[in-house]
Amino acid sequence: MSARSQGTRLARQAGPEASGVGYPGPPSRFSRFIRELRADPARGAIFLFLVAVTFVMLYPFYFMVRNSLMSSQQYVVGHGFSTSSWSQLFSALPVLRELGNSTLIAFFAILIILFCSTTAGFAFAKLAFRGRGIVFIAVIGCMMIPVQSIIVPEYVNLSHFGLINTYASAILVYGALGTPFATFLMTAYFRGLPDEVVEAALCDGLTYGKAYWRIALPLAKPALVTVIVLQFIQIWDDLLVGLLFLQEPTNRTITVGLAALSSGRVVSIPILMAGAIVSALPAIVVYVVFQRYLITGMTLGINR
Amino acid sequence: MGLAVAEVVAGGNRLGRNRARAGILLLVPAVLVVGGFIAVPIGQAIYYSMTNWNGITAQWVGPSTYAALFKNPIFLRVLENNGLLLLSVPVAIGVPLVIASMINEKVWGWRIFRSLIFLPTAISWVVIGIVAVRVFADPGALDSILGAVGLGFLQRDFLSQPGTAILAVGLTFVWSMVGTNTIIFLTGMSTIDPAIYEAAAVDAAGRWAIFAHITIPLLKRYFQFSFVLTIITAFTALFSLIFIMTGGGPNYGTTTLEFFIYLEAFSVGNFGTGAMIGVVLLVILLGVSMIQLWLLRGEH
Repeated sequence: MSARSQGTRLARQAGPEASGVGYPGPPSRFSRFIRELRADPARGAIFLFLVAVTFVMLYPFYFMVRNSLMSSQQYVVGHGFSTSSWSQLFSALPVLRELGNSTLIAFFAILIILFCSTTAGFAFAKLAFRGRGIVFIAVIGCMMIPVQSIIVPEYVNLSHFGLINTYASAILVYGALGTPFATFLMTAYFRGLPDEVVEAALCDGLTYGKAYWRIALPLAKPALVTVIVLQFIQIWDDLLVGLLFLQEPTNRTITVGLAALSSGRVVSIPILMAGAIVSALPAIVVYVVFQRYLITGMTLGINR
Repeated sequence: MGLAVAEVVAGGNRLGRNRARAGILLLVPAVLVVGGFIAVPIGQAIYYSMTNWNGITAQWVGPSTYAALFKNPIFLRVLENNGLLLLSVPVAIGVPLVIASMINEKVWGWRIFRSLIFLPTAISWVVIGIVAVRVFADPGALDSILGAVGLGFLQRDFLSQPGTAILAVGLTFVWSMVGTNTIIFLTGMSTIDPAIYEAAAVDAAGRWAIFAHITIPLLKRYFQFSFVLTIITAFTALFSLIFIMTGGGPNYGTTTLEFFIYLEAFSVGNFGTGAMIGVVLLVILLGVSMIQLWLLRGEH
């Protein structure tokens, strides 16, 4: 009973902070949580529920880290600690080479996507001409076409031009697959820019091309970051295109390399887990740094 | 440069023509890339779907190839697998809806929960699949849980039987949709005017009543978006997951349309059949989008 009244007093002490007078900082936030808990115990259950959900969502990360820190023998018996898998990883998988391949392919594919989507987006949003609507629907409509529906002719076409097992094939295909959605996003963004911005640039003597390059493009930075982040994660994590178009161990991406390691006949789980961590890390870093842009891009389609 | 000013001042046809020329010029890269690598191949896929293409030579057969496909028992099995995956869609929407409404209560640390629950969205299906294999294997994490809660008789290697293997793929799919769908619903909930909730609190409405009568109806658009996204993901994004977890087996038990394309074209060498299944997949997805458009039209 006395403990409870003490708690109430503590909660009351935290009171001024809520009304904006007192001291900021984490302790007061926590004590507000305690006070809320007293007023409404269900919030405690909600908190515990979210802890449980978070545990389930993070389990794979725990699993990968824990098992990568064992030797193959330790994995079999289920306990122990060793960093041997990490040193063996680099001989089992050309990790650095594959990370480099992934980076190079993602970089040039994203360049293609940015160039095509910003030019087209600017034209669709700001440069009226006859037939624009139909071209818009045709380009954006390609968003609906899944890669599996075109992959067979794509493969035959690219092998016809001798591009299978070259970086160019993967770069071109990723570039094309990312362009429709990026164009949709850039068009929406440029439509949000007032027409006066472009007109003012023309009055200053700029051509349309220069208005695009010097005025519209610098203003579109947030949208550009959104496209880069979304496409980077998409390309980095993709398997199918890389699997078909980059079949040599020297030119394949880290995701393809990991899949190959996983389906190999003799596979050491701890080494595989170490490889999985290495392959996942870049995308996770991008996610952590640019989370806000990722969410913007993902939810953009809702209100249209 | 001086000319441009004159044009702007004068306005008229010259300006319009210039603008049109600039517009068309700026569209060239996108149209070439999208046309050459998406539009042309989809046209080829439709044409070659009616031939017996092996990648090099093709003889015209005609639309009867489709009739033959729909009599192929393996193809019907594959369609059934897509149907089974469809059953997981309500779960892949319902679970995140509950999680989102819990996060939206803004208990202590809700921002951290939001970030952590969304984190798996960043990792590839290959990595998810590699871990999932060990969760559903025997012995594996799921078997340990089943043993711990007294359901030891259910313990097995889930990936070795068709029925449990598709269940394992479906569960992994649901798990990986949690982050995305939770964020979609949270975005929706953030658009709801807090005054509505305050009014409900004044009326002493319970948590459940508020959820059922205020939150859910106001999230209609977000339901539709999440519904379409979840189906598209289930039908077109699980290639890597199936490749890693089961390879489409056992006995075609986890082969969906998208995986069947890969098997037919690149394992068997039936490029025409592969292209044809691609067309079927596209038609199904267009159907889903049509349903969504139709639902949205009814609303306005």
